[in-house]
Amino acid sequence: MTSESWLKIIQNAKITVLIEDGKRKVHFLFENGKEMVEEYNMDTNVVVRRLWKKKNNFGTDIGWIVEIGEPEPKENNIEKDGIQESSNTPFVTQRITKTCLEWRIRNLPYPSNVYSVTAEEDNTITVRTSNKKYFKKLKVLDLERIGLKPEQERISFKHQYNTLIITYKKPLELLNVEKKILSRILQFKPIESTNQCPVS
Amino acid sequence: MVGQLMARRGAGVILEMIKDGKIAGRAILLAGQPGTGKTAIAMGMAQNLGIDTPFTSMAGSEIYSLEMSKTEALTQAIRKSIGVRIKEETEIIEGEVVEIQVDRPATGVGVKVGKLTLKTTEMETIYDLGNKMIDCLMKEKVQAGDVITIDKATGKINRLGRSFTRARDYDATGSQTRFVQCPEGELQKRKEVVHTVTLHEIDVINSRTHGFLALFSGDTGEIKSEVRDQINAKVAEWREEGKAEIVPGVLFIDEVHMLDIECFSFLNRALENEMAPVVIMATNRGITRIRGTNYKSPHGIPIDLLDRMIIVPTSPYQEKELKEILKIRCEEEDCEMADDALTVLTRIALETSLRYAIQLITTASLVSRRRKTTEVSIEDVKRVYSLFLDENRSTQFLKEYQDDFMFNEFCK
Repeated sequence: MTSESWLKIIQNAKITVLIEDGKRKVHFLFENGKEMVEEYNMDTNVVVRRLWKKKNNFGTDIGWIVEIGEPEPKENNIEKDGIQESSNTPFVTQRITKTCLEWRIRNLPYPSNVYSVTAEEDNTITVRTSNKKYFKKLKVLDLERIGLKPEQERISFKHQYNTLIITYKKPLELLNVEKKILSRILQFKPIESTNQCPVS
Repeated sequence: MVGQLMARRGAGVILEMIKDGKIAGRAILLAGQPGTGKTAIAMGMAQNLGIDTPFTSMAGSEIYSLEMSKTEALTQAIRKSIGVRIKEETEIIEGEVVEIQVDRPATGVGVKVGKLTLKTTEMETIYDLGNKMIDCLMKEKVQAGDVITIDKATGKINRLGRSFTRARDYDATGSQTRFVQCPEGELQKRKEVVHTVTLHEIDVINSRTHGFLALFSGDTGEIKSEVRDQINAKVAEWREEGKAEIVPGVLFIDEVHMLDIECFSFLNRALENEMAPVVIMATNRGITRIRGTNYKSPHGIPIDLLDRMIIVPTSPYQEKELKEILKIRCEEEDCEMADDALTVLTRIALETSLRYAIQLITTASLVSRRRKTTEVSIEDVKRVYSLFLDENRSTQFLKEYQDDFMFNEFCK
């Protein structure tokens, strides 16, 4: 996929815009039937939340998957599922700032010299710990969509307050694509806010 | 298997064709005298196809049930022999058990609390366990050092083996203990799994009146044709989207001459369907009346259906083959037989029938055990030969003494 093809998909998508709670909420219905929701901060025009509607193989809804922003609080249905991560296992959230992609991995209590973050051949950013306690392959969907690979020079990370913060400086292509998508969205007039909006 | 070289070669060619998916919707007829291994060939084919290809075996007379119409029984049999291979992505946790800890309440009743620590070569995670999962882990006897997978959606636990790093934990291990490497990378992986279900199973699950429990009780009754149409449409849709594959299986109908003319004409049409399985039939009849009519036809099968079939003949066994079969049978039954006794038995098999000779093995071994010897001798065989009649001698006996039996005066 290249940046052109992703822009083309956005161009052909059916877009609904809604302003609510001081956020510009945008619903994309793509030609292949997939659905995406983005929420923009009104002041900075930065994506604060992005969700994808997921279906399983047989077309049954399995809900919204959070790509960017805080994940929805998990229900405690351990008796139904039988097994779930204990509450103090590390978890990842992704954020976007004006210039960077950012991941925060919370609940990582190990000293800051054990971590290593590398851009890998398989288009992921991989987090390793030298004490073999945590390992994660982070998919960089923003880059994947426009056909870029993560580059090691752009990665920086720091560890504080049990949290590992990884920042990835946005390449120029990504900035351009984001600008174009934003200008496309701003063309749409926001519809009236109702309480039963289909968006979120 | 012994003998029957030509028929087996034919079956081999047909197997190749089935594996290539070439002969779906055609039929094969195994024809031959009684006791020439028709059923054995079909069973062999089934085994060779592997577990992934559905194989349904039925006797011709099985379709005559009071609860179901004949065509319904046939349809069910046909749909049991068509598999649907469904691909699905599931989340799987795969790791080596570091620690498993279960806290039971002191009173013995109440909720158990459990924690399971799993690791790979790269990471370690603690999981909380529900009550049901604790019971499953206990039942599987999972302990520290085992490498397990847990299917997150279904909660199914699979023990892959013990980790190599724990190989020296015990001095003695059972012979079936398998040692595996500790998994690499992330604990939770998305894996594509493939299951094969038959169309009939999908039918039963979707027929509202019964529910899936009917699958176990076997009492499925009639399934509405609307349900079937819906399922066919759905499966076709899945196939187009690449989510599922159709696996034409094999339907084996033994004693096919027991089917009547309605079933044959139904089969004729069913074979034309694009999702039809390979139908293998076996019969031991020559030219005989087609059930339900007054017409006579080869094998008791109408000519138009015969025309669609590949006919594989089986011929009577030769003396050498008979001896081989009897020998195998003796081994199967844990019965030691003297060489001359075996020769006599082979002779009997040649002159009467193979099945009768096989019956004699069992009885002769019982007689020899009365004599407290382990080996069956020629005397034992002679004794049981005189004790039990074969079909020919029985007929002759009846012919001679018919006058002394009851009701014979009405026969004349």
